[in-house]
Order: sequence, then structure tokens, then C-alpha cells
Amino acid sequence: MEKEKHYIITAYTENQVGLLSTVAGLFTRRSINIDALRVFPSGIPGVHKFVVKTTTSEVKVRSIILNLEKKVDVIKAFCYVDNEDFNKELKDVSDYIKEREALCK
Amino acid sequence: MKQEQMTGSQILLETLMAEGVDTIFGYPGGSIMPVYDKLYDYKDKLRHILVRHEQGAIHAAQGYARTKGFPGTVIVTSGPGATNVLTGVADAMVDSTPVVVIAGQVSSTLLGTDAFQETDLIGMTNPITKWSYQIRKTEDIAWAVSRAYFIASTGRPGPVVLDFTKDAQVGKAEFKYEKCNFIRSYISKPVVDESKIDEAVKMLDASVRPFVVYGQGILQSGAEKELAALLEKGDIPAGSTLLGLSALASDNPHFKGMLGMHGSIASNVMSQQADLILAVGMRFDDRVTGKLDTYCKDAKVIHIDIDPSELGKNVPVDLGIVADAKDALSRIVAKMARKDRKAWLNSDKHCNEVELQKVIIPETKGTADTINPGEVVATVAEVCGQDAIILTDVGQNQMLGARYSRFKRSRSFISSGGLGTMGFGIPATIGAKVAAPDRKVCLFVGDGGFQMTIQELGTIMQEQLGVKLVLLNNNWLGNVRQWQELFFKERYSATRMINPDFEKIAQAYGIERVLVEKREDLRPAVERMFADDKPFILDVHITEANMVFPMVPPGKPVSDIMLNAKEWYK
Ligand SMILES: Cc1ncc(C[n+]2csc(CCOP(=O)(O)OP(=O)(O)O)c2C)c(N)n1
Ligand SMILES: [Mg+2]
Repeated sequence: MEKEKHYIITAYTENQVGLLSTVAGLFTRRSINIDALRVFPSGIPGVHKFVVKTTTSEVKVRSIILNLEKKVDVIKAFCYVDNEDFNKELKDVSDYIKEREALCK
Repeated sequence: MKQEQMTGSQILLETLMAEGVDTIFGYPGGSIMPVYDKLYDYKDKLRHILVRHEQGAIHAAQGYARTKGFPGTVIVTSGPGATNVLTGVADAMVDSTPVVVIAGQVSSTLLGTDAFQETDLIGMTNPITKWSYQIRKTEDIAWAVSRAYFIASTGRPGPVVLDFTKDAQVGKAEFKYEKCNFIRSYISKPVVDESKIDEAVKMLDASVRPFVVYGQGILQSGAEKELAALLEKGDIPAGSTLLGLSALASDNPHFKGMLGMHGSIASNVMSQQADLILAVGMRFDDRVTGKLDTYCKDAKVIHIDIDPSELGKNVPVDLGIVADAKDALSRIVAKMARKDRKAWLNSDKHCNEVELQKVIIPETKGTADTINPGEVVATVAEVCGQDAIILTDVGQNQMLGARYSRFKRSRSFISSGGLGTMGFGIPATIGAKVAAPDRKVCLFVGDGGFQMTIQELGTIMQEQLGVKLVLLNNNWLGNVRQWQELFFKERYSATRMINPDFEKIAQAYGIERVLVEKREDLRPAVERMFADDKPFILDVHITEANMVFPMVPPGKPVSDIMLNAKEWYK
């Protein structure tokens, strides 16, 4: 068995009905327990933020992050070990969205 | 100028047409009746194929999509209509098939009240769709439908489900259509990292024994030419997954056969001998890799896939490239060195000789009283000039259909791979024929799978589709029987079937059926079958206890290959 650690996973998403169960489902399917979950407006207009605390292995966390980002309505997902500051990516996400939107024009 | 208002149902149909849809596979019911009513006015523009069970609609849409490379479209009612498509949605998800399912739903005011035929379709399809969305407002229809086709058909393709409430169908709005080609949270085509291409080229050029393993991604990105060019330039051998078959012509000298459990000896052995594995548009399924920790242990691995979550998922990679296969391969081909690796390329003589003598000849040139299924597949390949679209159901018929069919053209093999859905065959064949009416379309199906979606013979009759259904009839759930014989001490639990009189069934549907029991009747019957473009059932009574070989038993390395029940490859 791979070593388990505490992780914090964050995901920035579009504001769509049903995303909570999509996100939760990714954890359930890999039998990963969610220790704590918070969903709130990210500070970027129209973008929601999920923060999930969990205890699992690095392989599973990697899989969760990639599969979160694979969901159409998820913009970006990140992972932190234990007590790292999980707000520092906000600016990156905001820049990323601007970059993406510039592509549309 | 104020635009005319349309009902939601009309907006749906207008949007479908704007997206290029020409065919719908479907089945009506209460919560989708407004759409069906409008369809009456669009009879000349949108072909609707009435199936006999919604599972038939989704598999037909899959067969259509995989033939055409354009999403298949399904319309069904809520509740049981919607739950009946779930198997096909799950199938389309694992096999990355672009389909759009539009299901009726009760009025939005009734949601959550257990109203008649209400089910939580979004909840049920969430884990088995690329995207699912509930349309509750007429104004959202054009947006959601266009988005659905964009998502289904781009990136790694997949199924999309739209749950369409009845009030949105009958409500009115202006028709404001704008083709979706951008979603900020979704990357439809990754930008290739050129430095990774350079690294791949370096690894490839340095490799003495490179081996390419490819999958359906080649077909989906249209990279057949690029793949062939890469193999030719580097003298590189290649093996295909089940779903990648027909991307290379069967007689391409670089093609070493199918990979995995019932693949060719050469492709399995060479993948274990290689010093570099270049994997393109495939996902290292366990049916391909065998025991994972013994797979390609001595090789470096480059994995190219459009889905980042596939890279390193099963097999650790030395270099992962997120890219469209065509895009990546054309860049690699341009930069790689031309190399002579003939000795390696042709090092599979022994493998092929053993497979020919021990497996292929006994299977396809039978001498016993009964006909082997492999003889049937090989005869079809000969008679149809390797030019048919071949489909299979699931089981022994599938593995033999895959092993002994021959292909000249791409997109000519369709089978349920990842989910292995029995009953996929007949309806998928319907979809393929609808998508390619000018081509010969031929299914290999077992007696078990035939009876799982047998009702679609009614669809074939109604539409008079010239599909050729080859029933490999062994009176067993043959594939399971094989495992029972090999791994469960010949305890044949629930695999023997008493079958109906297929002649009477064929007659009831007005479909010509020919029974073949003797070897000398086989070829004339196959010739008869392909002589016209009418529906046809070829019922071949085959060797009952026949087994599919070679076989890598589950949980074994892919170099541990059974040649028959007693002998192993050495
Ligand atoms: C829907 C479904 N149920 C069960 C299975 C398990 N299964 C795989 S192959 C097989 C037997 C297939 O029998 P038949 O259709 O007669 O084909 P044969 O192997 O004899 O060619 C079964 C039961 C499956 N793949 N799909
Ligand atoms: Mg059978």
C-alpha cells in the first residue's frame, strides 16, 4: 500500500448545477474519504471554488486532479499537502481565464 | 426587426440541422411528445429511425458515429426511455464515442416530486458522460445543443446527455443559434509542446527496437497516413488495440496484429522485447497489458494521448505528450531520422510460424465434421474483398471477428471494447449501414448476443437495411464456457443455451436466412449473402466447444501465451 497523507485539493469551476455531485463522485469512485468540503464563490466573477480535505495516496490525488480537470465545467484544479496556503493560486487562475478568453476572440 | 418566436421543440430540430445532423435514432413517449410532434414537420429533412428498444437507439447511434466520425443522435422519452439508454452511454464513455442523447423530462415545475416517469437522469449519467445538462428554459436550447455537439466530437470524444424538460419543449423563444466552438473551461485541442516532440524524436532515433502500440485515437484524429509514414520511415513494427483495428491496412508490412489477450503472438512478444514503446491514442487497458508490473519492463515508454489523465494512469511513462495524434505524429515524422531496422522489423518469423501452424491453420482450415467460427470469418474476408465494415458483438465471435477479418480501409471495424456490451452488435450494425449505405456492412454475433437485442430485427425490416448478420451459433455462451473449461474445472454453470428456431424468427421479420452446417455450403452461402444489398442472416452452426487462441490468461504477462488448452508458446 502506498503511504497516505493529508491533502487539500482545490478546484475552480463554472457555476453549474450538479457539479457538487460530479466532484464528490470522483472521490467516491476511488473510495477516497472526504474529510471536509467547502464550496464558495472564488472571488473571480462567475467562478466557484471547491476546497476538499482528504487523506489518501499521492497516486490517487494525481488521478483526482487530472480527472477533475477533465470535467468540462472545471477550469483548474490544484493540490496541496496539509497546511500549505491554498489561496495563492487565485491570481494564476484569474490570469489563466483571461488567457483562455483571449483565445475566443 | 423582431424575430419570429419558435417552440422549444422546433428550436431543437433547427439546431440539430444547423449542427449537421441528418439522422436521429429514437423512440417516442409522453415527455418527448412535443418534439416528436414537431418532427412530423421535419420528416423530409431529418431521418428518424424508430428502433424497438432504446438500447438499440444508442448502440445504433454509436455504430453511426464510429462509421462517420460524426456524433450519433438519440432522442428518447424520460424515465424508462432514458434508463434504457444507460448501457450504451456507459459504453460510449469508455470507448470514447461521440453521441448526443436528448431525453425528455417532466416539466421543471414537477422536478423532484416523483412525477410520472421522472428519473434523476443527470444524477445517473454524471459518471458516465463527458457532459450532461438539464435544459429547463426554452432560451437555453440552442446554446446547450450546440455545446453538446462541440463537446461530444472534440478532444477525447464521448457521450453527452441533455435532459430536456417538457415545459422547455413547449415554451416559445427566438431562435438564436450560434455555433459553439469555444468553452473557456474546456480544452478541445491541446497545443503541442514542441520540446516534447524533440525529446520523442531523440528517444525514437536512439532506439534499436522501437514498437508502436496504437488505438482508436488514430482513427479519431484521422492520423492513419501519419502513422503509416512513421512506421515506414523508421522501419518500426506496430500492434493495434481492438478499437484501433483498420487504422492500418491488414497487409501493411509494419502491422503485427492485435495486441493483448487474444492478440497475435508477434505483437505481444515484440512489445515485450522492445526497448522503446511509442503508444498513440490508446489507454493501456488490462486486456492489452496483461499483468501490469511485467509489461514492457525493459522499455522506455512514450505515451501520446489527447486526454492528460491517461498519461501514466496504468503504465509509468518516460515521456508523456498531451496531443491530438495526427498533430503529434506529423511533427515526429517530419523530424525523425530515416533508419534501417529491418532485422528487428522482421524478427517475428518464429512467432508467426508458430501461430500459423498451431492456431491459424487449425482454426481457419478446419478438417473436423463441424465448421470453426474462424473459417466463417476468413471466408467472409475473402468473399467481401476486405472492403466491408465489420462489426462484432461480444464474446468469442468478437475475438475471432477481430483476428481473422482483413481491412483495406480505415473505420472498418466496430466493436464494444471497454464495456464489452453483449447486444451491441445488431443495433450498431444498423447505425453503420445508415451511415454508410453504399458499403457492405457485416456483423459477427453469437447466439447469446443475438438474442440480447434481437428485437432490432424489426428496425432492419422496417428500414429494409441491407445488413449482413452472421450468427456464429454454438448453443453456448461460448466465451464464458471457454473460461469455465480452462479456469473453472469444466463446471459449465449457466452457459448452455437452448436456442429458438432462427428460421422462424427470420421468416417472421421477412428476412432471408440461410443455415449452414456443412463446410462445402459455407462459401456459396457467403457469396449468396453478399450478392445483393438486402437484409440477410447467415446462421452457421459451428463447433460447440471451440476456443479462441492464442490466449494470454488473465493476470499473466503478455508473453505467457497459450496456443491451445495444452501448449504454451515457447
Ligand atoms: C450484457 C453482457 N452480459 C454478460 C456479459 C458476459 N459475457 C461475455 S461473453 C459472454 C458469452 C457470449 O455468448 P455468445 O453471444 O453466444 O457469443 P460466443 O462467445 O458464443 O461467440 C458473456 C455472457 C457481457 N459481456 N455483456
Ligand atoms: Mg454462443
